Amino acid sequence: MPRTPIVLAAGLRTPWCRAGGAFAREDSGHLGALVGRELLARSDVDPAALDEVIAGCVGAAHDQANVARVIGLRAGVPRGVPARTVARNCASGMEAVTSAAASIEAGRGDLYLCIGVEVMSAYPLIVGERMTRFYARLSSARSPLARVAAIASFRPSMLAPRVALMEGLTDPISGLIMGKTAEILAREFGISREDADKFALESHQRAKRARDSGRFAREILPVLPLDARGARGGEPHAVENDDSIRDEQSLPALAKLRPYFEKPDGRVTVGNSCGITDGACALLVASEDRARALGLAPIARIVSWAYSGCDPERMGLGPVYSSARALDDAGLALADMETIEINEAFAAQVLACAKAFASDAFAQNELHRGKALGVLDMERTNRNGGAIALGHPVGATGARLLLTTAHELAARKQRYGLATACIGGGQGAAVVLERMDA
Amino acid sequence: MIDTSGLPAPADAPPPRSCVRIERPEPGLAVIVLDPPHRTLAVLDLPLLRDLDLALDEIEQDASLRGLVVTGRTPTSFAAGADLDALAAITDPALVARVIGIGHAVFDRIAGLRRRPSPLRTIAAVGGPVPGGAYELALACGTIVATESRETKIGLPETQLGILPAWGGTTRLPRRVGVPLALEAILSGKLYPAREAFRKGLVDRLAFAEDLLRIASDLAMGRARVKKRGRGWKALLVDKNPLVAGFVANRARAQVIARTHGHYPAPLAALAIAARAPRTSTAASFAAESREASALAVSPVCKNLIGIFQASEAAKKLGRGPDGRARRAPERAGVLGAGVMGRAIASLLAERGVWTRLFDVVPAALDVALVEHRAAARERVARRRAEPRDAVAAIDRLDVTRTLAGFARCGVVVEAVAEKLDVKRGVFAEIARQVGPGAILATNTSSLSVDAIAEGVPFPERVVGMHFFNPVKKMPLVEVVRGRRTSPDAVSACAGLAVHLGKTPVVVADVAGFLVNRLLGPYLDESLRMFAGGVDAQRIDRALEAFGMPMGPLRLLDEVGFDIATHAAASLHEAYGPRMTPTGVLEPLVRAGRLGKKTGKGFYDHKGTSRGGRAEIAGDLSRFAGADGARVPALSDEEIVDRAVLAMLNEAARALEEEVTAGPQELDLATVFGMGFPPFRGGILHYADAVGVHAIVERLLRIAAAPDVVARPGGRERFVPADSLVAMAKNLRRFHP
Repeated sequence: MPRTPIVLAAGLRTPWCRAGGAFAREDSGHLGALVGRELLARSDVDPAALDEVIAGCVGAAHDQANVARVIGLRAGVPRGVPARTVARNCASGMEAVTSAAASIEAGRGDLYLCIGVEVMSAYPLIVGERMTRFYARLSSARSPLARVAAIASFRPSMLAPRVALMEGLTDPISGLIMGKTAEILAREFGISREDADKFALESHQRAKRARDSGRFAREILPVLPLDARGARGGEPHAVENDDSIRDEQSLPALAKLRPYFEKPDGRVTVGNSCGITDGACALLVASEDRARALGLAPIARIVSWAYSGCDPERMGLGPVYSSARALDDAGLALADMETIEINEAFAAQVLACAKAFASDAFAQNELHRGKALGVLDMERTNRNGGAIALGHPVGATGARLLLTTAHELAARKQRYGLATACIGGGQGAAVVLERMDA
Repeated sequence: MIDTSGLPAPADAPPPRSCVRIERPEPGLAVIVLDPPHRTLAVLDLPLLRDLDLALDEIEQDASLRGLVVTGRTPTSFAAGADLDALAAITDPALVARVIGIGHAVFDRIAGLRRRPSPLRTIAAVGGPVPGGAYELALACGTIVATESRETKIGLPETQLGILPAWGGTTRLPRRVGVPLALEAILSGKLYPAREAFRKGLVDRLAFAEDLLRIASDLAMGRARVKKRGRGWKALLVDKNPLVAGFVANRARAQVIARTHGHYPAPLAALAIAARAPRTSTAASFAAESREASALAVSPVCKNLIGIFQASEAAKKLGRGPDGRARRAPERAGVLGAGVMGRAIASLLAERGVWTRLFDVVPAALDVALVEHRAAARERVARRRAEPRDAVAAIDRLDVTRTLAGFARCGVVVEAVAEKLDVKRGVFAEIARQVGPGAILATNTSSLSVDAIAEGVPFPERVVGMHFFNPVKKMPLVEVVRGRRTSPDAVSACAGLAVHLGKTPVVVADVAGFLVNRLLGPYLDESLRMFAGGVDAQRIDRALEAFGMPMGPLRLLDEVGFDIATHAAASLHEAYGPRMTPTGVLEPLVRAGRLGKKTGKGFYDHKGTSRGGRAEIAGDLSRFAGADGARVPALSDEEIVDRAVLAMLNEAARALEEEVTAGPQELDLATVFGMGFPPFRGGILHYADAVGVHAIVERLLRIAAAPDVVARPGGRERFVPADSLVAMAKNLRRFHP
């Protein structure tokens, strides 16, 4: 447990929007700054009082190096406040918060603006290597003859671009795209296609209920996207809700989808995987004393956190490893967690985690402990749906898991909550939160 | 030594040789520094010209010199141009001609240094504002180097003041950059930022402030060169070709006439000289400059334009802090209400670098605000008025909120919610709880009392009226309304903010309609009464447009909206009694939902004019004429103008009696900037002086006695001359000295 009580003092996020949709013309700088600015205004924190701005982002635009700095300045944070960008793939948003917590614990500061942001719409197409070499030849050709020769070496196939999105979602060590790692888990843990589809349907139904009940209203800031255009000449409207929840989702509809990553026998489809999504989430992280001094009403206390490594080919099991450590650190058991937010990278992956949590054998072989961590109670887990329904803007998700967990604890007057995510490349992240006045 | 006897000079003119310094940083180089002790920014007044002339005596006699640099005190302060105070005071064209002759002679001595047996390289090293005479001095040098800085602004704005660049500018600029560009610069009076001035060839090189003198010295000593960009074949084909130059001049002439309706002679005079300059001898062209300018400078148009310019410069000083320097704009501002006014104010604030938070309860209004703001930011980039990063910054600086929260760090909150007292009090009460000490609450009300709105705010001394005009981004005036309990500091802070937003502030008292709308009331109502009484609508508008108003009163009503105009008229009537009695002629139109431009039809048919077409008069107006009031007798165009303008003038005299503005100068400024009263007339009180107060009183009495006016149930009183007018007429006094 941290020596200094550290709290999530306030939080806010944009709607999660399907990539290529509402936020197609956004950039991380604008979206991150927008939500950061609003959070600062609403919480009435003097931006000059911040010790640092920390942003988690996986694929920042090439023209926004150290996107945290871009976000800080565009959020109206004075230039004297430094900023760093942190990356831990799918847990980058969580990393932003925990590195703020680590800094507070180390006595480096006591007030941080943490942002998780990802605009996957903006991931570029990259000119291929052969085309790059062609450009190099052309620009180094001195004589007209050499230039003709260089031009003659052009082949139309050089124009084929590399898709940054697909390559980013592929683990370079194992060479597997994320969906294939989920297929491995599905096979090894015996997750059927029907189980996965049922889980996916439940995610949509829970998210729909949460949206309709106004559950998300306290965490979502309506955003009028850049370059917003009204549908068919109508007035453009601010986006108020996560837009990839499918109200009409059904098992038959899910069953119709073909496996995406391994044909014909795979179990992972686009229907039971998380979507490619854009969004940003901001959290104020502070020592409890500082938060109180600023007159803030913190939403949750950070009890412990842990990251752990695992097999890159089975990266989806990361939450089991990291949760074990975070719970041990907190001196708590899985059963103490009344609210659990686990990132739904893939339905099969979450279901595999559930089996691993409950497995004594897994505990003995992988976690070096005698007994299983316990049962992952699905009634307590992702009560408002998860990434399958809402989407997964990779750098932002970790921050949202924390925000949603904190709000859920407060709304249900529960004590402890766990936010956890698997991380491409073979890692897991877990944070244990506690309601403030519990 | 030049003869300055009998010419106007500043009272604190310093002794000879004290305004110009000659430095000799290295053998062969002389640097002339304009450094008059009696001015914070050098002005090319007679003492300075005299000392420049004396300095040139020394330069000319020194055969060892190879180069000369002419520069200012600092890289961003060169000189402000001619002495406007002196110019405003001169009434004798012969004296003007003498002053022009002095400038010509002194500047031509500099030009002559290049042609002497051992030629001098002459370099002007300029920066900061370089307007008019200052630029003409630079043009006399062989090469112009300018400081690359946001402060640098170069051009020839003389025509905007009713004169022309007569110290060689009209002659030398066309020769330097060609006739088409010279016409653009001289006729628009635009002051070009450094980069644009360089791109267009107004200057030859840019240099950072730290390097300016070194580079100018290198150029003067021949250690460095600039690439001279001649006009090449264009010079022969366009500038020297009478046919092409004539064609260009004719087109420019047509544009000027279309824009000025022939009320402004200066641009036309400048145009004729500039178009011929490349084909005319310098002496002849200078003679033409002198002849035209000396006639123009003593004309009332020139005096009026200079008066307005000086009044607006004085008004901008209202916004200075106790230390005499321009106040810094607040870092953060709030705007309440995202209606037409609120969102435009918010957008303007954001555009000018203020973090702005806009509140409205209607989400769609906020969406529209953001869409408009972003479109405007991109538009500025498309028109090369701003860099892409400026647009990004402007977009970042506007946030919207549906709850009245998060305004705690705002230095100023401008309220533009519905014109209902309880609504305004409600939002201010909430905001007053949030903001910190020192924050100012400004109301953009146009019809409510600032004092009444301040009621219930725990710090009424920091409640001010800030009355913007529609369209906010175009209208240059802001009425800063001083409530009974408003502190002078809060007034000054709002004036400072207005200046920061590019507006001219006029401080007015908290009376109904403040100043501009109070004067517009009788003016618009009188126009409506003439229409109702049978005068052709288009004739009314044309008569007042010919008078110089930017648009006729009925077209203006279309822009304002009949509902708003009716509401404003009613509140004026309530406040001022019978003399503001409104005619009912708009009522059937309002009832029918015909409100003017916003509904597509008013006096004019606005359908299909979105692409810039001018709206045509509606065909069915006769149905509405004659609905109310007596028939108006046949009126001449002058009588039409008199009825509308004198009704307003009489009210202006009353407002001045009540000290609604600080004085006649401020009142005139407000009429020109707030309602577009013809600038060449210098404002409504200048107009009264020009006609003669005695004649004004007579004409008012004549109108008041007209049968249709006598027969009115109310509203005749507006033609009963104000007490102050009667007194002034009796004592033969004027509003302005």
